[in-house]
Amino acid sequence: MMKIRLRAWALALATTLTPLASQAGEIEWLQWFAAEETTGFYDKLVADFEAQHPDITVKLVTQPFGKVRESIVTDNAIGVGSDVLGLNMPWTKEFLDIGILEPLDDYLAREDNSFATDDLIEAPLGKIDGKTWMVPLNAFPFVMHVNMELVRKAGFDAPPTNWEEFAAQAKAISALQDGISGIGMPFSSQPPSNGPILTFLPLLYANGGRIMDGTTPNFDNPKVVETLQFLKDMNDAGSIAPGAASRTGGVDLEEFIAGRTGFLISPGVHSSSITSRNPDLDYTLVRVPSNGEKAYRVHGWELGISADSDNKEDAWTFVNYLLSPEVNAKAAVAANALPGNLAALDAVREGADETLIKQMEILEGDTPVEEMRQSPKAAGSWSVMTEELQAMLRGDKSPEEAAAAVQARWLELAQ
Amino acid sequence: MIATLRQMTTQGTPYLFVLPGLVILGALLSVPLYKVVEYSLYDNVIVERNPTYVGLDNYTTLLSDPGYWSAGLNTVVFTVGSVLGHMIVGIGLALLVNADINARARTFFRSMLVLPWIFTAVVVALNWQLLLNPFGLINYVLQWLGLISEPLDWLGNPDYAMWALLLISTWRGYPFIMVSFLSGLQTVPKELYEAAEIDGAGFWHKFWHVTLPQLKPVIYGVALLDLIWTFQLFPLVWLSTGGGPGRATEVLSTLTFRLAFVDFQFSQAATVAVSILIISAAFTLLYLRNEARRV
Repeated sequence: MMKIRLRAWALALATTLTPLASQAGEIEWLQWFAAEETTGFYDKLVADFEAQHPDITVKLVTQPFGKVRESIVTDNAIGVGSDVLGLNMPWTKEFLDIGILEPLDDYLAREDNSFATDDLIEAPLGKIDGKTWMVPLNAFPFVMHVNMELVRKAGFDAPPTNWEEFAAQAKAISALQDGISGIGMPFSSQPPSNGPILTFLPLLYANGGRIMDGTTPNFDNPKVVETLQFLKDMNDAGSIAPGAASRTGGVDLEEFIAGRTGFLISPGVHSSSITSRNPDLDYTLVRVPSNGEKAYRVHGWELGISADSDNKEDAWTFVNYLLSPEVNAKAAVAANALPGNLAALDAVREGADETLIKQMEILEGDTPVEEMRQSPKAAGSWSVMTEELQAMLRGDKSPEEAAAAVQARWLELAQ
Repeated sequence: MIATLRQMTTQGTPYLFVLPGLVILGALLSVPLYKVVEYSLYDNVIVERNPTYVGLDNYTTLLSDPGYWSAGLNTVVFTVGSVLGHMIVGIGLALLVNADINARARTFFRSMLVLPWIFTAVVVALNWQLLLNPFGLINYVLQWLGLISEPLDWLGNPDYAMWALLLISTWRGYPFIMVSFLSGLQTVPKELYEAAEIDGAGFWHKFWHVTLPQLKPVIYGVALLDLIWTFQLFPLVWLSTGGGPGRATEVLSTLTFRLAFVDFQFSQAATVAVSILIISAAFTLLYLRNEARRV
């Protein structure tokens, strides 16, 4: 009887301890990438990694983009944070203030890495507080998507290349008929209320302007005011779709796909949604119309390691795997994006579709810009920007007043 | 002595069975409540590894913040407007579906009219966004009727956004009131209506002098319940307008979320949450007193 009891206890103990034993080489990867790439690519990627590294298992934790930021913060606070984190550049400063991220300089300096640090896209590697906090999995340049049928109907042969042509074409398209507009501005207050960073910032960068001076807000400068004035003039001319203050980014994309707007400024990755959802659309993509400045806004999917992770070495092994040219090329093609590791560019070209190749061609030689990572409170900052741009388009504030209001509120936020 | 012990054991047994449930329920209620109040007494928590106790400083800051008062005023407008909307539409429809018509038709209408209560806030918000869009159905119909000359951005214009939100909230919330009143209507003795008819009372006289007085206890209880729910309503507002445009529809619940998950000011968010708790608790006490009086 005693023997049976001992066996039962031993069995219970073994059952209890088994999950602990398997957790020794387990890392968790929190990201939203797999939510946006629904063909199961990331499950296969993880399976391939585990086949090559039998001592490490990766738990893929997928959440929608809007949820990941708050999950990282709250998980970290209660000590259950993931090891590898999918990151968005604008979150950097906020996460550093909370102490969520592990500095990656020592890892990047290793000689046995599968990639050369110099080959990685530069923007996410920029040091804050003297250290590097994230590496790029891929990059999404902002472009302008064009409905060529509407452009032709409005009497033009080619998409606009500068602001003058842009304003003229948008106005002519809006005049075509009810329900058709030149362009939409997704300035809804609905979370993540990031419309201005999707539309206004690409125009500002193409105008040679910036909104930050290092980590200090610099919104009330002449270039910003000039770009705001351009938007206001477009709105006054009826070129912007009505309802900007209640238009979300999702609706803006849907309206373009449905053929109800002539232009859409958004990440190039949207080309796959556009071509797959409306194959009949006479569609092309071009550089955001500029005033001679060859700069484009870029954002991407970044990777970081949690400062509280107990498996940092395994976490880096996984990150290192994702950045190797072969794997990184596959990840870029799957997301219809540029690779984070530029050594993978040739491999991406081989597997890329025509819209991605076009992005690579038109942006070659242009300067990528991402400033929100310098902002002390990125999510709060773009919410403020949205509110003030709404007021400007409504006619409650002039571009100068809107710029001054954003600047004052950003300085207050930074404190 | 033994008899007393035996009596205690017999009478106490049922309480022992209830005890685990009471302990779990108590912990689930009291721990979060305690933590929220505690958080409001620190400079910041969750994102601050070594929070500093600041006493009532957050409350002082909150009371001097115009954003808080503006959100408070919006909350009052939204709550009172929604409850009135629920009541008016709920009573009206309850009277209609209580009418003596074909039984199948009555069941059909009752089922259809309860539908808004079944949909999740996400579905309701998305549908109404499409309906209220400048190119949406509502603008089209209003233009067709000649009531407006050009499409309006109902959810994007600060002058109309709260009205649009009240419309959405009324549509979403009337079924509960309708069902409550419907059950109340069925308890009104028919003799009262017959007596009123003999006295020559028409529809409105019967409604004011028989139906409403008979429904008064139900109206009071349901209105208080609705007030408590609507006062702290979050998803419908956040998903419909995000508190915008500007802060035109920012209510206390969305302000709490914004402070916590946009600005990471968790202690300030907890302070707003405590203020919501105090006001909701006052309404709850009123409700409980009303229920006790009815019993």
